[in-house]
Amino acid sequence: MPTRETLAAAAPWTALTTTEADWDAAAPGLLLGLFGQATWIRAFEEYVLELAAEGLVHGPAHASIGQEGGAVGSVLPLRSDDFVNGSHRGHHQFLAKAFTHVLPGDGLPSLTDEVRTVLRRTLAEICGLAEGYSGGRGGSMHLQWKAAGAMGTNAIVGGGVPQAAGFAFNQRRAGTDAVTVTYFGDGAVNIGSVLETFNLAAAWKLPLCFFIENNMYAVSTHVSDATAETRLSARGPGFAIPSWRVDGMDPLAVQLAMTEALEHMRAGNGPAIIEADVYRYFHQNGPYPGSAFGYRSKAEEQAWRDRDPIELLRSHILRRSLATASQLSVFHDEVVKTLREIGDSFLQADPAGKPGQRRIKASAWPDPGFVDVGVRGDLSELDGSRYEEVSGFSGELAERRFIDVVSDVLARRMETDPRVVIMGEDVHRLKGGTNGATKRALELFPDRVLGTPISENAFAGLGGGMAIDGRGRPVVEFMYADFMWVAADQLFNQIAKARHMFGGHGSVPFVLRSKLAAGTGYGSQHSMDPAGILTTAAGLRVVAPSNPFDYVGLMNTALACEDPVVVLEHVDLYTSSGVGPVSDLDYRIPVGKAALRSVGDDVTVISYLSMVRHCLEALEQVGIAADLIDLRWLDRASLDWDTITASVRKTNKVLIVEQGARGTSYGGWLADEIQRRLFDWLDAPIWRVTGGEASPSISKVLERAATARTEEVVTALRHIAEY
Amino acid sequence: MAMLLRVPEVAAGATSALLTEWLIPENTRFAAGDPLVVLETDKAAVEIEAETGAVLLRTLVPGGTNVEVGVPIAVLGEEAEAANLDAVLAELGVSGGAAASSGGGLAGGDSAAGAGSAPALVGGAPVGQSAAPVSGVTVRPGGAVAPGGSNGEAQDVSSSAGRIFVSPLARKLLKEAGIPAERVQGTGPDGRIVRRDVDNAIATAQAAPAPAPAPAPAPAPVAEAAPPRPVRTGFEEIPHSRVRRAVARRLTESKRDIPHFYVRRAAKADALLALRKQLNEVTPVKISVNDLVVKAVANAHLLVPDANVIWTEQAMRKYSTVDIGVAIASKKGLVTPVLRGVDKATPSAISRQVKEFARQADEGKLNQRDLDGGTITISNLGMYGVDEFSAIINPPQSAILAVGAAKEVAAVHNGQISVGTRLALTLSVDHRAIDGALAAQWMAALVDTLEQPLKLLA
Repeated sequence: MPTRETLAAAAPWTALTTTEADWDAAAPGLLLGLFGQATWIRAFEEYVLELAAEGLVHGPAHASIGQEGGAVGSVLPLRSDDFVNGSHRGHHQFLAKAFTHVLPGDGLPSLTDEVRTVLRRTLAEICGLAEGYSGGRGGSMHLQWKAAGAMGTNAIVGGGVPQAAGFAFNQRRAGTDAVTVTYFGDGAVNIGSVLETFNLAAAWKLPLCFFIENNMYAVSTHVSDATAETRLSARGPGFAIPSWRVDGMDPLAVQLAMTEALEHMRAGNGPAIIEADVYRYFHQNGPYPGSAFGYRSKAEEQAWRDRDPIELLRSHILRRSLATASQLSVFHDEVVKTLREIGDSFLQADPAGKPGQRRIKASAWPDPGFVDVGVRGDLSELDGSRYEEVSGFSGELAERRFIDVVSDVLARRMETDPRVVIMGEDVHRLKGGTNGATKRALELFPDRVLGTPISENAFAGLGGGMAIDGRGRPVVEFMYADFMWVAADQLFNQIAKARHMFGGHGSVPFVLRSKLAAGTGYGSQHSMDPAGILTTAAGLRVVAPSNPFDYVGLMNTALACEDPVVVLEHVDLYTSSGVGPVSDLDYRIPVGKAALRSVGDDVTVISYLSMVRHCLEALEQVGIAADLIDLRWLDRASLDWDTITASVRKTNKVLIVEQGARGTSYGGWLADEIQRRLFDWLDAPIWRVTGGEASPSISKVLERAATARTEEVVTALRHIAEY
Repeated sequence: MAMLLRVPEVAAGATSALLTEWLIPENTRFAAGDPLVVLETDKAAVEIEAETGAVLLRTLVPGGTNVEVGVPIAVLGEEAEAANLDAVLAELGVSGGAAASSGGGLAGGDSAAGAGSAPALVGGAPVGQSAAPVSGVTVRPGGAVAPGGSNGEAQDVSSSAGRIFVSPLARKLLKEAGIPAERVQGTGPDGRIVRRDVDNAIATAQAAPAPAPAPAPAPAPVAEAAPPRPVRTGFEEIPHSRVRRAVARRLTESKRDIPHFYVRRAAKADALLALRKQLNEVTPVKISVNDLVVKAVANAHLLVPDANVIWTEQAMRKYSTVDIGVAIASKKGLVTPVLRGVDKATPSAISRQVKEFARQADEGKLNQRDLDGGTITISNLGMYGVDEFSAIINPPQSAILAVGAAKEVAAVHNGQISVGTRLALTLSVDHRAIDGALAAQWMAALVDTLEQPLKLLA
């Protein structure tokens, strides 16, 4: 007969409800402030729906009408140095954060010029206009005003949550007591990014509030269809996160819960969860109620409307005679009038339309030429760099083991730049991680080498948040390149797009070390070459050092660059040796500069990373005189077209060599680009060496058969010799 | 191991050929490079050479038979295999019955001997490479091409698809060099023209040939007035050579199908002869009157570009370059190789090229592509003292200029009689392509140029 003991989670889970006494005790300025901001938000949202109904909002307008209580209740206690980010339904939180940033104090707020500017720029952004915070690029779902601490709303459900952990990481590491609040809905609470971040934030005690707006519907799917524990804050104790559950239709209850959570977080005790039960009066998007789509009843909607948060605030304000009914009415009318004035300034009668139909003025749109501006930075941050190449190197050179210079240069950068932090799986153990890359860093700065839980999406996203905030320079390691698929949302949808999506001006100094391991017997899911996939993302720079000297210079450039840079590393190279610096670890190698490893007239061989050595071996065996171009920089923006062009014009033949499987390979787009740019200089089809069709297998012979090495290059060169 | 010899694709697009004769009898050993059989199309008569040494065990098709490309025409192998040849044939998938027709063959020794006298023009053209599979024996056309064996159309050197494959770079270089792809032999995969082919073509075009004796411009066989050899008692029958047959057929076709008309002028040649003398004092190559006439014809084409045309059934084909044929009586027969881009060539370059053609013709090494194209041919019988003559157009060209001797004559000018040298010129014109007035204009331009020969150097 076993004995049983009832266990309790370590973290408390609390339902917080206000009483009449709380309403009596609440400061008049607080209640008037809550009412004022909630009223502005609702008027704003109603106006957006009006424009949407006229067809003037391109794309979805996710109205927050009904949910204002959660937003104002949670944002009013925040300071400007506290951050928020949010989801696709984020107008209300964005506006509340922006209002709070520009308003001088509490009380019934006044429509100052700053407030009008917030309304104007937010409306412009939602309509996709040039005056918007992101120049119209982001629209309704990507609202960002970093100066106000509004770090960006997100169209991927749960996609912004890992970045919020990065903001919180920086806030704590900067020695402040500022916090980040990340808003998401019931629909996001079951996605990996959110759950991974619960765990990571708790493990690292980050000052991060997970604010769950439980409006019960993910589009039309009821929360009880999606999860057995519909009290979503119940997840918190499972991660040792103190959690609060409040009625989100009661702004004061939300404000009280947030105040408690802030106390917990500012004291350095780690994250908090607040679940606020709210209700959106309308469907997922657009000006019609959910009942019109049949997934809920009018009676349910009416029951929630009867508990309207603004009416609740109004009733207590009148009850306590904090303002008169007509004052509140005038207050409402004023913002409605202001919004119409703002809207009218963007709009004009549509001469081709029906009477009364309007359209956006041509002058309000962004210039189409803005389309790709700011995909990446202009590299001006690298001005004044000391660039060095092996030939003519000013320092001392010696034969260095590749992995040792990886370790040395990372530690050296941590020494000179306190922003640099390394994170990844096992990087803090095994005397330098699985391969020794963090050996020196661990010796010098053990507290800046962070072993992560196995949750690539969370820690990659955390790194992205650090970079978007800018106070941190994360060096994130993926133990195997294939894990980028696991973190694909953070890497491709978030980090790579952030700069462009939010208007093309915010830098994202993020470095990802991605390890290639074909040849180690790790099989189909650990052996890819990610270059072909990574270079599909316009915002990523990708660099592939083939020798110790280059690694130092390229890593230094990557860490100085304000754009996200993926540094490819190959396990084959780690144990190899080559010329590298003895003590000078501070030089850089320019972005967009390839290296010629051999010179010849017969053919241009283009390769990178570990295949450069295989190409050299093959060229010796075959006795062909080739230009061997070691690309170093692989992404489309950083490719060294000058070197490629000069070589192809000379040799008229091209062989692109890479190791990995064909489907994800890199050379296809390069061949395409070369044939278009240099068609008249080609005397032969562009040849390629790649691995096989399928991913490499674990069996040694099958793995060998699936990857390209020296022998495959030899075969290709012999073929070329006969051409 | 016995192998089948199959009919290669002699010329692009040709699906059949006339097997005119076997050049060695059955059961004869041959060496690599020995000509085995002659295949003739309307464009060319080609000697098929052996790729490797073996024995001609049996011919499967007699001479005078029309054969489809790819059809087996002989069994090659070793003597030992002759004993049970039918079994060998069965093994190769050829019925013994088909083979039975060989028999006498065309072992006519005269014909075989005659083959040697043909100007062997082309070696190694890969026109047969994409033809029918040859069961391990590859043959290459190595035979002769009859004069006039050109039709001015693109020669497909790569496949039967009717287009020439050229690498992007080679295409650009060809354009820059002004060389038509038709004139370059591709050596890349599937006959693709690649850079080295263009480089070679340019080098060939520019290279000064080895010093060679100046060829005497020869009597054109296209001359009309070739009297039959008088025969009295009895006669000797001399078998026709293939060249003779081809000349006969093509000139008959020309005279039958092309409505000829003739324009005659005499040009004052004194200045031209003086210029030639001057030139020969300063140039290493001896420039002939004919070389200058060639240049003058090019000049006339530039001045009257509407005459630089040929007639085709579909459309008038007007050329942007000036390519001119010259009739050369070589040791192996008459040939009319075509000079390219004469409008840009100097008289000394023309002279060198004509000499090179003559040398190649004597050695039987002219390329087929050297015989293709052009809109006009020049035939000069002046060195034989001929006053003037009319020539037959070399199809598909639209004109031929017959040049007589430069002779001193008494000339009347402004009522005064003086002595001057005159060159008699007769232009035969294809009336389908060129009308009388245009021909007259062209002739005027030619005469004007010859009489003010400094224009040739401008």
